[in-house]
Amino acid sequence: DLSMNNISQLQPRTLRHLRFLEELRLSGNQISRIPREAFSGLYSLKILMLQNNQMSCIPAEALRDLPNLQSLRLDANLISVVPKRSFEGLLSLRHLWLDDNALTEIPVQALNHLPALQAMTLALNQIWHIPDYAFQNLSSLVVLHLHNNRIQSLGANGFDGLHSLETLDLNYNELLEFPGAIRTLGRLQELGFHNNNIKAIPENAFVGNPLLQTIHFYDNPIQFVGQSAFQYLPKLHTLSLNGATDIREFPDLKGTTSLEVLTLTRAGIHLLPRGMCQQLPSLRVLELSHNHIEDLPSFHRCQRLEELGLQNNRIHEIRADTFVQLMALRSIDLSWNHIHFIHPEAFVTLRSLTKLDLTDNRLVTLPLDGLGGLTHLKLQGNPALSEPFTKESFPKMRVLEVPYAYQCCAYGSCSSFFKMSNQWEMEGMSPEEEDPHKRTMELFPGHADNHYDLDTDDLQLDLEESKLHPTIQCTPSPGPFKPCDHLFE
Amino acid sequence: QKAIIRVIPLKVEPIVLEGEFANVAEVTPAEGKLLQSHPLSLCNTSEDEHTESGFITIVKLEQPDRDPNPCLSLANKAKLAGERGARAILFDITDDESAADQLRKPRGLSQPVVLIRGHDAELLMGVVNKNREAHVKIEVKEPPSWPDYDVWILL
Amino acid sequence: VHPNVSQGCQGGCATCSDYNGCLSCKPRLFFVLERIGMKQIGVCLSSCPSGYYGTRYPDINKCAKCKADCETCFTRNFCTKCKSGFYLHSGKCLEKCPDGLEANNHTMECTSVVH
Repeated sequence: DLSMNNISQLQPRTLRHLRFLEELRLSGNQISRIPREAFSGLYSLKILMLQNNQMSCIPAEALRDLPNLQSLRLDANLISVVPKRSFEGLLSLRHLWLDDNALTEIPVQALNHLPALQAMTLALNQIWHIPDYAFQNLSSLVVLHLHNNRIQSLGANGFDGLHSLETLDLNYNELLEFPGAIRTLGRLQELGFHNNNIKAIPENAFVGNPLLQTIHFYDNPIQFVGQSAFQYLPKLHTLSLNGATDIREFPDLKGTTSLEVLTLTRAGIHLLPRGMCQQLPSLRVLELSHNHIEDLPSFHRCQRLEELGLQNNRIHEIRADTFVQLMALRSIDLSWNHIHFIHPEAFVTLRSLTKLDLTDNRLVTLPLDGLGGLTHLKLQGNPALSEPFTKESFPKMRVLEVPYAYQCCAYGSCSSFFKMSNQWEMEGMSPEEEDPHKRTMELFPGHADNHYDLDTDDLQLDLEESKLHPTIQCTPSPGPFKPCDHLFE
Repeated sequence: QKAIIRVIPLKVEPIVLEGEFANVAEVTPAEGKLLQSHPLSLCNTSEDEHTESGFITIVKLEQPDRDPNPCLSLANKAKLAGERGARAILFDITDDESAADQLRKPRGLSQPVVLIRGHDAELLMGVVNKNREAHVKIEVKEPPSWPDYDVWILL
Repeated sequence: VHPNVSQGCQGGCATCSDYNGCLSCKPRLFFVLERIGMKQIGVCLSSCPSGYYGTRYPDINKCAKCKADCETCFTRNFCTKCKSGFYLHSGKCLEKCPDGLEANNHTMECTSVVH
């Protein structure tokens, strides 16, 4: 290991006696040029590390007589050109690092001489285009990283020949169109093209990639998604689509039977297909906030559903069969809808339900059957819901938001609440914390109405795991001007 | 609320230090093996190679300008440390007094968070620097029997 | 010297302190957390330690762990050398080679059957 030694020059033939040397580390030095015979005699060399040096071109001559080389690191140099014969003779090369250099194009001809190559990174360069047949001889390549380049266009046959490719990383580029060239990648499992400029995902987009398990494409200005785009992806677990305003209909997910998390927010969906759950038997999380949904189908075939997010839609009623038999359902967010009626038996079978958010609807009454397990209930913004609650209605309640202060008094003397809420004031809570919407956001950190799987590290109050004071936190808490008796009774 | 921190290095005399419980977490005693955590180790993207749980972690906070955009808030760093098995989190805030304000807001975290500064912090970091292993006991220092009132009424 | 002044930093550090070691690295180096007994310090290296792989990004270069059965890897899902007891095949560590391939106990890899 000669790394990090300020070496600036290598002499020819100095290592020629090291016939059995398998790994040579020269990384982190000041090498700008490597003479022809620098590595001659290293017949057993498998790993050569030249990253973090000052080379502006490939030391092609020096690499010629390394028949057993398997791993070649050239990352973090200044390489802008890769001559045609750079890797001739490296018939055993499997892993090639060329990331963090100054390449402006794919070294197509140089890559034609690497039949054994299995993993390559060209990330962090200035590549702007992938021509047709760029990788046509790399039939053994399994991993290809191209992230953080400037790729704008991609030949229709750009990925032909990559028969073994399983991982393709096109993140952080400037692609304007969906990379249709992926259709020839029959063994692709991981695909990433997030942080590009793609506006549409076409019909049958992944018809050639039945083995796909993950697709990351967030942070694209996607407006349109073909109805059939995500069909027949039996291994896909997660699908996240946010802000695709041109989507009018719920996608047809025929054959995508392993989907567990589906996020489809801020689109224009107004109807959920009756057979939706038949297509998605493994669904655990369904997040459909900020759409135009008016009427809900029965979700009863979504037997594994745990979390349901329907906030900010136009739903007006909940029927008896809407949530029937959903034994695993823990959390329902129906806030900011137009719900005026909930069938008395709507929640009866929901034995795992702990969180229910009905903020800002048009409720007059709330059916209590099935809500005995609730720990979080939010009802603010339902002015017609004036019925008082009894202690027995919610024996496990911990956080309760109700339209009127007197509805809090059902849970122990008002004074304890008075002290409780007063204690919050003494903590010097900034006015921002007093804003009910802000505190509402805090109660349900998992359902912040931004990107669903956005990292929520900046939310202050994570009540789910915290052990709050054993007394129930009920708001608005009664006070001198919010008495326990309903004034107009 | 004050905290008493008993540090028992493996081969040298124990020392007793004082700290202050932060409101972000419960005020409860805790005990365990002492381990230092680099401030950048408490980020979602960084991996924790330490697998055992039941330790007490000490994090030496640097001056704020040396980490202009921290990966997580201090409250969430404390929460992450707890999720990774820490029984308590000690923050040496000698060089970052603003940490005390960041950790004042109640978040109900179950693992206690204790702030330590100045000479006590220097002694603790000295133990970390010069010993291979140490055990720590954190106790709640009972307030004086004569409660302090905000308002006195003189008759 | 005040423990936090960035003088006398270890080779690859851009900023450092006595107690935490490196706080940030010089360009193109990998930031790695090293545990020595109770201490945990930051170090800056030109390649990640064994059992880790590096990923370069415009603002930071990070090391992350290979899978449990892998000794050195290109990415988390692509191993370049398996731990003992496993055979390497196309980036995967297998306890048994797939049909049509034979286990080479010298190289610990699955190779095509030679007739």
